[in-house]
Amino acid sequence: MTRFLAGRLVRAVFILLVITVSNFFLIHAAPGDPAAVMAGEAGDADPQFLEQLRERFGLDKPLYVQLGIYVSHVVRLDLGYSYRQQLPVLDLIMERLPATLLLSLTAFAISLGLGVLAGAMAAARQGRLSDTLISLFALIFYATPLFWLALMAVLLFSIELGWLPGFGYETVGAGYAGFARALDIARHLVLPATTLGLFFMAIYVRMTRASMLEVSQMDFVKTAKAKGLRPRVIQRRHVLRNALLPVVTLAGLQAGQLVGGAVLIETVFAWPGIGRLMFEALSQRDYNLLLGVFIVSAAMVLFFNLITDVLYRFVDPRIRVTS
Amino acid sequence: MRRLLSIPFALALTVSAALADPVSGGKLDLIVQPEPPSVMIGITTNGPALLVGGNIYESLLRYDENLKPMPSLAKSWDISEDGLTYTFHLQDGVKWHDGKPMTSADVMFSVEDFLMKLQPRHRNLMSHVAKVEAPDDHTVVFTLKEPFEAFIRGFAFYTMPIVPKHIYEGTDYQTNPANEKPIGTGPYKFAEWKRGSYIKLVKNEDYYLPGKPYIDELYYHVIPDAASRAVAYETGQVSVLPGGSVENFDIPRLSKLDNTCTTEKGWEYFAPLSWLWLNNRKPPMDNVKFRQAVMFALDRNFAKDVLWNGYGKVATGPISSKLPFYDDVGPSYPHDPAKAKALLKEMGYDGKPLKLLPLPYGETWQRWAEAVKQNLAEVGIPVEIESTDVAGWNQKTSQWDYDIAFTYLYQNGDPAIGVDRNYKSSQIAKGNPFNNVEGYSNPEVDKLFDEAAVAFPAAKRQELYDKVQVKLREDVPVAWLLELGFPTTYRCNVENLISTASGLPNSLRDAWIKK
Amino acid sequence: MTDFWKRFSKHRGAVAGLVILFLIVLLAVAAPFLFPKSPWAMVQRPFLPPFENATYFLGTDTMGRDLASGLAHGAYVSLLVGLVSTVVSLLIGIPIGALAGYFGGIVDDVLMRFTELFQSVPSFALAVVLVAIFQPSITSIVVAIAIVSWPPVARLLRGEVMALKSRDFVDAAVLSGQKPLTIIWSQILPNTLSPIIVLASMMVAAAILVESALSFMGLGDANVMSWGYIIGAGRTVIRQAWWVSFFPGLAILLTVLALNLVGEGLNDALNPRLSRKGK
Repeated sequence: MTRFLAGRLVRAVFILLVITVSNFFLIHAAPGDPAAVMAGEAGDADPQFLEQLRERFGLDKPLYVQLGIYVSHVVRLDLGYSYRQQLPVLDLIMERLPATLLLSLTAFAISLGLGVLAGAMAAARQGRLSDTLISLFALIFYATPLFWLALMAVLLFSIELGWLPGFGYETVGAGYAGFARALDIARHLVLPATTLGLFFMAIYVRMTRASMLEVSQMDFVKTAKAKGLRPRVIQRRHVLRNALLPVVTLAGLQAGQLVGGAVLIETVFAWPGIGRLMFEALSQRDYNLLLGVFIVSAAMVLFFNLITDVLYRFVDPRIRVTS
Repeated sequence: MRRLLSIPFALALTVSAALADPVSGGKLDLIVQPEPPSVMIGITTNGPALLVGGNIYESLLRYDENLKPMPSLAKSWDISEDGLTYTFHLQDGVKWHDGKPMTSADVMFSVEDFLMKLQPRHRNLMSHVAKVEAPDDHTVVFTLKEPFEAFIRGFAFYTMPIVPKHIYEGTDYQTNPANEKPIGTGPYKFAEWKRGSYIKLVKNEDYYLPGKPYIDELYYHVIPDAASRAVAYETGQVSVLPGGSVENFDIPRLSKLDNTCTTEKGWEYFAPLSWLWLNNRKPPMDNVKFRQAVMFALDRNFAKDVLWNGYGKVATGPISSKLPFYDDVGPSYPHDPAKAKALLKEMGYDGKPLKLLPLPYGETWQRWAEAVKQNLAEVGIPVEIESTDVAGWNQKTSQWDYDIAFTYLYQNGDPAIGVDRNYKSSQIAKGNPFNNVEGYSNPEVDKLFDEAAVAFPAAKRQELYDKVQVKLREDVPVAWLLELGFPTTYRCNVENLISTASGLPNSLRDAWIKK
Repeated sequence: MTDFWKRFSKHRGAVAGLVILFLIVLLAVAAPFLFPKSPWAMVQRPFLPPFENATYFLGTDTMGRDLASGLAHGAYVSLLVGLVSTVVSLLIGIPIGALAGYFGGIVDDVLMRFTELFQSVPSFALAVVLVAIFQPSITSIVVAIAIVSWPPVARLLRGEVMALKSRDFVDAAVLSGQKPLTIIWSQILPNTLSPIIVLASMMVAAAILVESALSFMGLGDANVMSWGYIIGAGRTVIRQAWWVSFFPGLAILLTVLALNLVGEGLNDALNPRLSRKGK
């Protein structure tokens, strides 16, 4: 196990490094630079102004030197400064991370919980009306553009009915504290988390259902039936447990996307998270900030991949974890 | 030296404020969009930074809606008869937000050192100045190299914000920690900045004008989505929507809400004018007939009425009608596709497809590019839209890598400051998207602009600017679109919200909230 | 072939999907005839509500452009982007997966690490960055979608090839002295066709979703009227004109649904041994 972990860790660090370097070049291939953007916003500039900015950002050095400096900082876990905001990249990311994690984890919980439940229900009632209905809804949610669903939800629940706030993280300037604030944030969380969760929920429903039906054809289930165990016990103890394997894989994948996967939803709901930070950094050519977001979200993916592999061992003891 | 101008302090109170007695107190919630990188406006001068920072820092002067100077840090001023010497008398008892007194030494430091290093517009203005002196703590004297009548309109808060010498002298200005917690002389003090959420300013209790400002706290909310900003106003979270903070389509709906006023005031100094850069270096844009055809092809009233919801005004030529020396002289270009087609036929246009670069500033501009594309297609000019973002747009325009490109620029109070930079051949220089990007070069126009800038007094300037306006309107170096209107939407019980030509960033010291 | 149809048509959803898909393709192909005017032409007053004017029955958008025409022309764009980007990602994913699966060892290791690299960055975020960096155009959108969607193809192919490699007919080909590339091309790949077709149909659906999301975020090609673009443009006026965002969203939903249903039907018909139970 230790060897396995060590091996995976080395691999992860290597991947991170390659991602850093390749994205560094990718980002610098974009037209314009942060100095040009800032000059553009100022509505006035002369060559001296641009030179000053570039010198201050270190953009006057050759690209390979910039890369060297950047990588040497990253290996010391220093993500550098945001050109535009003049604050450490790590601080900016950490400031936005809680909002993103709150959103994605809630969506994750909703999708996994409801998805597996509905999928199992559908499988148990195979062929009946409830099965057809669950499968149909899963299919529809799977095919719905996320941003459109979000828009329609805002239109209905926020604009027409006025039940829930349609944007933001909390009521600005309301001065809530403690429980009142938590409640306020929770109300703001409902629409974005639900819309984000529905898509993955659809996948879990389909996967759980298919997987359970497949497992229930297997010999050991037949044996259990022959032994006279009650169907409900068989479903829960034998079928569901074994059917969860592909679900775990997917959950690992989804968890990896927690940080970077919510760009769209964060945009529609004006959620102050990492995804939006990334989009802003991109259009402002804030190289350091953008690379920082990439590194953090890639690290997240790799971390959850590892967790998934380890989890596999517990769900399915037949699988040996090898590097 | 005879006193030409000396405005008594009392006149600074504008008429609307005199209607009712202002009351103190309350908080005002505004939108700032997008979140500025910093609010130290000596260094960062984009719109959102100014909106907040304009209450923290002040310049020597402010301007009324006719661009007449009003007192700010200078309580009065004299201009010598030969137009060469400008003497400013500073207000009494001005203190920095940290309690230190503000003197002419701070002005000297800002004007000669800080802003010379960091502010391109200021550098440009100072190219007319021979020397600056401070004979005593409360007086600053500018001596010009030659008469420059526009000079008195060059003291906008965002060109010449006075910064504290005791904090910046001898430090690296760009990395000085005070940039994060700005210290100015303005009516409001920096209090708190929650990134991604809001910026809070509080009343400067030691402000040099007794009783002012009236409002206790200002909150500038960061809400990155236009529709959400509109909702924030409707739900009462925000009571002022500065121009441009919601989509134009939303303004008619919002303005029908209870207790809601809109005004186009407060943009007279900026006088934003939009146009299409036509790359004069390339055929067919090098042909004046083609450029005129473009003007006739554009349905600018549609753009104004549908895309800008009736706000703004169809531009007649290079100078905005809000600016001094504007005149409606020379040829005009109504929407006339037949005439455009005739001109194209006359010049033998071959139907070569052209590229159109939209301004990446949101929906309205995108829609506008689509409308222009249709307008041009109607007269037989096939156009392909090149999508890009702000950085890409800057790169393409400043490197002259375009056929037709949208832009809009501030005219900054005077043609000699904000207009001639776009037409003089000396202003053709790669790497800058704000100069003569179209590559128009006409010695006659150059001469007229140069003479007009330094002519004295104003009547002489008018004569020359009339000539240059006629010439440019014949030549159509760029296709002028609209004088943009950016209406401010606000609750009507906020009184005297806009009292200067620079609008919200420069007016809140006089605003108050009716109970 | 008749067997195939029999199995496919057993899946009622798949048949329905096929019908919907057929109608959409028909709409896309017929768009230039049904709506000869450019979908960008401003033909009526802005914000004309749907079902009020017989000619412009779906209403108009912020600039008075015919929404129905936009939908029809948009169908063409969406399907095209979906198809082409899927083909491109197959062209990247199949060789990588096949080589990795066939040769194994170090080749497999290197290629799979390479694949992993692309899976370690959130895919939509990567697509956004790619399109923004190479500036929005149909080409950059297709390439970006392909780049973020090929890894599953490579993984699938690798698995299939590894399974097929040990089969007798491959051994026979190796013994007869055929070159590895020839074997992969002529012996192995034809046998992986069924799962590829199934995956591809799902990928077209996914690509349409990604394209619409990119356009929605303002990263579309401004010269083509795509469904995502219409929703994105309608978003700011959603209170004044719900229909501008509503109908194109419905169109995407139907198309993606149809493609997925067809995919499932194909799966049942082509891979009977793997088909979903219970139908």
